[in-house]
Amino acid sequence: MAEAIQKKLKVEVEKYAQMQKEVSKSMSARQKLETQLTENNIVKEELDLLDCSNTVYKLIGPVLVKQDLDEAKATVAKRLEYINGEIQRYETLLKDMEKKSEQHREVLSSLQQEFQKAQGLAVGKV
Amino acid sequence: MAEKGQVDIEHLGGVIRLREEHEKVVKDCESRIQHWKKVSGDYEALNDRLKTLPDQLSYDIMVPFGPLAFMPGKLVHTNEVTVLLGDNWFTKCSAKQAQKIVDHRMKYVKNELDGLSKTIKNFEARVGFAKNLETISASKGDYVDIREEVGNNDSVVTKGKQRMAHKPNSKPKQDVFFDFKEEDEENEEESRDSGSRKCIMTEEELWARLDELEKLEELQDEQDKYVKILFCFCMRINNPALSLFFFKVRCFGFFPFRLSDNGDMNGEDTSSSSSEEEKDADAATPVNGLSLKPGWSALPSSTAPLRQDRKEEEDFEEEEEANCLPTIYFSHTVEPKKVRINTGKNTTLKFSERKEQKEHSKRKKKNGHSNGHAHHELHKITTPADLYRLFVDVKNGEPIPRKSILKSRSRENSVCSDTSESSAADFEERRIMGRSFSHDEATHSDTSDGITEEDSPTAVLLQPPSRFEAFSGTVIEKDPMPSAVPHLTISPPALPTILEKKQEEVAPDVAPPQQAPKRVSKFKAARLQQK
Repeated sequence: MAEAIQKKLKVEVEKYAQMQKEVSKSMSARQKLETQLTENNIVKEELDLLDCSNTVYKLIGPVLVKQDLDEAKATVAKRLEYINGEIQRYETLLKDMEKKSEQHREVLSSLQQEFQKAQGLAVGKV
Repeated sequence: MAEKGQVDIEHLGGVIRLREEHEKVVKDCESRIQHWKKVSGDYEALNDRLKTLPDQLSYDIMVPFGPLAFMPGKLVHTNEVTVLLGDNWFTKCSAKQAQKIVDHRMKYVKNELDGLSKTIKNFEARVGFAKNLETISASKGDYVDIREEVGNNDSVVTKGKQRMAHKPNSKPKQDVFFDFKEEDEENEEESRDSGSRKCIMTEEELWARLDELEKLEELQDEQDKYVKILFCFCMRINNPALSLFFFKVRCFGFFPFRLSDNGDMNGEDTSSSSSEEEKDADAATPVNGLSLKPGWSALPSSTAPLRQDRKEEEDFEEEEEANCLPTIYFSHTVEPKKVRINTGKNTTLKFSERKEQKEHSKRKKKNGHSNGHAHHELHKITTPADLYRLFVDVKNGEPIPRKSILKSRSRENSVCSDTSESSAADFEERRIMGRSFSHDEATHSDTSDGITEEDSPTAVLLQPPSRFEAFSGTVIEKDPMPSAVPHLTISPPALPTILEKKQEEVAPDVAPPQQAPKRVSKFKAARLQQK
């Protein structure tokens, strides 16, 4: 009886560890997005400050490609929106993951208790 | 105790960890600040460069080729700067425009720096607090935990009793809370019942309390011995100004609770009110082996502090901790009420009611002292009536009672004292008698007779004689003063004139009460007349 519980416990622990990894991944991704968001905001501000006289380049690989100012502004704006959307998606994902991990935690704790009881019984028997 | 110790250890561990976490944050903040400062420096340098760059059309420079080689070359188009905006976006702009961008970024960096410095301050403070907490829980510092056990229901009861309404059927204040929830009518009924119930309860509890107090008195025997020694020491001193004067005082001050006769309440009043005051006094003083409680402070002997220290030592010892934190358990012990009465010449009278009672009971038990029973019966003061009896100047034939006991005998010679109708002759007689009497009394002084050597109380916390009802001989008192009853019966014959006086006082007192019910408002009287 105790062994069976032990096995169950192991399985649950692994699942929980998996969940935790996923959570941390999404967390880091979200953080990246956040930095990109701030950066793009700065770029947008800078572009707004510029007037038509200045040429704008975009670095694509090793090449600096000339861009239109307005185009650049539009592109940056789109990118910003995209980033925001991504962030929200990741947030919802994180929430779900947290809920799941909570459930796993509860299961784990209950299993642990059972295991302890079983152990106690075994000790008593012995 | 072990559990407590464990809890403390865990607590300590938690606090340590908290402190470490705070320190981590602080370090992190510091590193970030360093980074931003560097960035700021770089931008400053860039700014300078941008300022000077457009000065010349071209510069001769050594152009770096890879990491190790350089090549002479020229820097041209000095005004054209390609600026990285972020996220792989570049823009070509003039030097001045570049400068603007640089300023912009400098602002951002400055903001970041400010925020970080604030957070670092916060966390440094938190680290300090955590350190303090650590020292407290590890009991390394000078912190002492003072705990007071509030298990004593008596104090609660007495305080609650105090809050009881004067009339038994009125709403006690404690039931105010119910008003918000229930209807008023129901409330009143409840409060009435609970009030009466409470009243009864508190009486019983009062009896119980009195018993407790008596026990406490018995326990304090040894301590009282010291005090007695002090008394006899002082009695030996013939100078009346220096000797201590024991005086029984009833304080009916702030005790509004009257259900039964005044008589019933007398004994209870004093004990409970005294205990009240003691508690208040106790609450005010810090529990410290060296500090004296207020009532004792001016006592010119070493015995009081002895007693004090003993008590506090006891308290301290009993409750001395096996905690990690030195704990002082503070308890409201019942202390005898000390009343300091300012008599005429530099004397302060210390009165201890409890001691008085104790001594009375002792005397009763022992029932044989060197001086006469009657003598100290006479000197035993339990009511202001006794005072009047006592402050009788002459005991040749009849004791001539004093007109005013508020004047000190030592000042009898002074003109100011006597406002009585007595003639000058009487005054002189009394003076002479008084002197001789005091002399005699001094010689007769006796160890057990802790009471009045002195007939020289000037200011006394007495009920004025007008409140005759309170101190009539019909007072039915409880222990601790059972002697009072037989005592009082003895007294009347000894005080013819004073009794007369009292009777006089009674008569006018009786008259007003009779008049009072008859008093009718003007308007009503007018109406009655009209009818």
